[in-house]
Amino acid sequence: MELTEEDVLEILRLIEESDFEFFRLRSGDLNLTVSKKGYVPAGLDGPAAGASVPAQAPPPRPAAEPLAPEPEGETGGMAGVEPAALPEEAVQREGLTPITAPMVGTFYLAPEPGADPFVEVGARVDADATVGLVEVMKVFTSIPAGTTGTIAEVVAANAQFVQKGEILFFISPDDTP
Amino acid sequence: MALKRVFIANRGEIAVRVIRACRVLGLETIAAVSEADRDSLAAELADRAMIIGPAPPAESYLNIAAVLDAAVEAGADALHPGYGFLAEQPALASACAERGIKFIGPDADAIAAMGNKLAARRQAREIGVPVVPGSASVRTQEDAAVVAAEIGYPLLIKAAAGGGGRGIKIVTEAPGLDDAFATASAEARAAFGDETLYMERYVGNARHIEVQVLGDSEGGVVHVGERDCSVQRRYQKVVEEAPAPGLSDALRGDIRAAAVTLAEAIRYENAGTVEFIVDGDRDAFYFLEMNTRIQVEHPVTEMVTGLDLVAEQLRIAGGEGLTVAQSDIRTQGHAIECRITAEDAAAGFQPSPGRIEAWEPPVGDGIRVDTHCRAGDVVPPFYDSLLAKLIVTGDNRLQAVARLQAALARFTVTGVSTTIPFLRLLACQLDFVKGGVNTRWLEGNLEDLKGGI
Repeated sequence: MELTEEDVLEILRLIEESDFEFFRLRSGDLNLTVSKKGYVPAGLDGPAAGASVPAQAPPPRPAAEPLAPEPEGETGGMAGVEPAALPEEAVQREGLTPITAPMVGTFYLAPEPGADPFVEVGARVDADATVGLVEVMKVFTSIPAGTTGTIAEVVAANAQFVQKGEILFFISPDDTP
Repeated sequence: MALKRVFIANRGEIAVRVIRACRVLGLETIAAVSEADRDSLAAELADRAMIIGPAPPAESYLNIAAVLDAAVEAGADALHPGYGFLAEQPALASACAERGIKFIGPDADAIAAMGNKLAARRQAREIGVPVVPGSASVRTQEDAAVVAAEIGYPLLIKAAAGGGGRGIKIVTEAPGLDDAFATASAEARAAFGDETLYMERYVGNARHIEVQVLGDSEGGVVHVGERDCSVQRRYQKVVEEAPAPGLSDALRGDIRAAAVTLAEAIRYENAGTVEFIVDGDRDAFYFLEMNTRIQVEHPVTEMVTGLDLVAEQLRIAGGEGLTVAQSDIRTQGHAIECRITAEDAAAGFQPSPGRIEAWEPPVGDGIRVDTHCRAGDVVPPFYDSLLAKLIVTGDNRLQAVARLQAALARFTVTGVSTTIPFLRLLACQLDFVKGGVNTRWLEGNLEDLKGGI
């Protein structure tokens, strides 16, 4: 006999207090997975099991695949979305530590348009001080200095689109001899 | 149909959705695209695509002059704003009116009237629509203390110009009031340029229930049933459904009637949504705000009523009266939508732009996917992270939940992180399966869910 919706809800109420982590309920064409505390075991053949998703890594994209045609300009296209090699010579500055972008996005030097920048060259900062923001998909993430010291160079421009790992600042650490 | 050529001032799935509705009605479409969206699905599907500016929204989708210039150049006679971006900017509606283009939505006055939450609440109270016990506006800490004594704790302090959950503070007892007031005031000034605050009772066991309404230019208004959008994270909706489960017939009827009363009072034209909170401990409901646009979650209403809400918007804008009477609108079965976004839930919902490698949405009975994504597309970092809306229907709610679980299990996306693994777990949670959770449920279970991914 197939269960009605009310029957199933009654079953859920009855077992709610019990000490289960998950269970499967099948009745006619109804096939429900129910779990408490977020737990759904891998390897279930049922619809909700994570195992039904192909586990292998996505195939690598051919290196030579061209990007979609797009206009010139810093922010015009989508080129910044995908990782690109960072210029080697920019990565090293003797005695200085780089502060890099934690993710791809638009870099901001100030908390809002027209406001004073978080830091300028010569500013003394603690490791946990905010030196800038990165905005991606309407989410702002603050960038900590990461190192206690003095800002030696501001590399990236305000509102510039940056890639993950791109150098934004150089800082002269306090412990530099 | 008086309209011939519709300019779509938006992107993503809603641009695609509007183009499809236009096609049903035989209307030409022009898609406004930024330089980042020149190869988008909307650009491909529209009869013509026009680049309105560079990728950053401020220079394209938020640029009223650029949007209007393109619409005029294209010879469009109407403009659909979608949701987000400029959809609720009175300035866009008035700019359209000045340039002789029909704005597909209410007029600028109605948008402005409902855009100020304080004015909207006042209007609702005046016509007998219940609002949460609270203040009109509070200017000083002394005023705040007086109001707090009247409405009791816990209470909320909110920015009058606010939205999207910003500028809201919860105060649990009197000693925290002064600090919270000062902080809320500063935040409101910084975020909205307007430090006006108001206070209201905090409803701890709240459900978010909203009513879809349609109004025509003759003053006719119908409701198209309600939606339950209580599954939220940081005041953003994650799962929506129709009808709202577990409401008494009397309460459901009262909420729907209140929405119609408000829409009639402001002679609301086009599609809109009146949002309420339902106090689960008191069986009471309160007006929250009105959204003067089509909403992300409109498909659940379409699936249970059979109406094409975007087509209704186009017909109303074209000067046709409502094609349906209230007695023609019936709901059948149950529909659930979940928002699939490019975010990594396990990493604190960090945005995940990039190139989509595999894109394999589920197909089958009772499954609808509204999306602009294809394999090989790039998800740009400039816009919000919505990739697709998965909408499932069933004869009853449990069948819809079972279909949601099955459909999520078959939805494969690689190349960017998505919320699909998170939603798979969410859809199995006992409280969600039973239905009727409150707006704090998801936040309260977030750690368990993230741990299970």
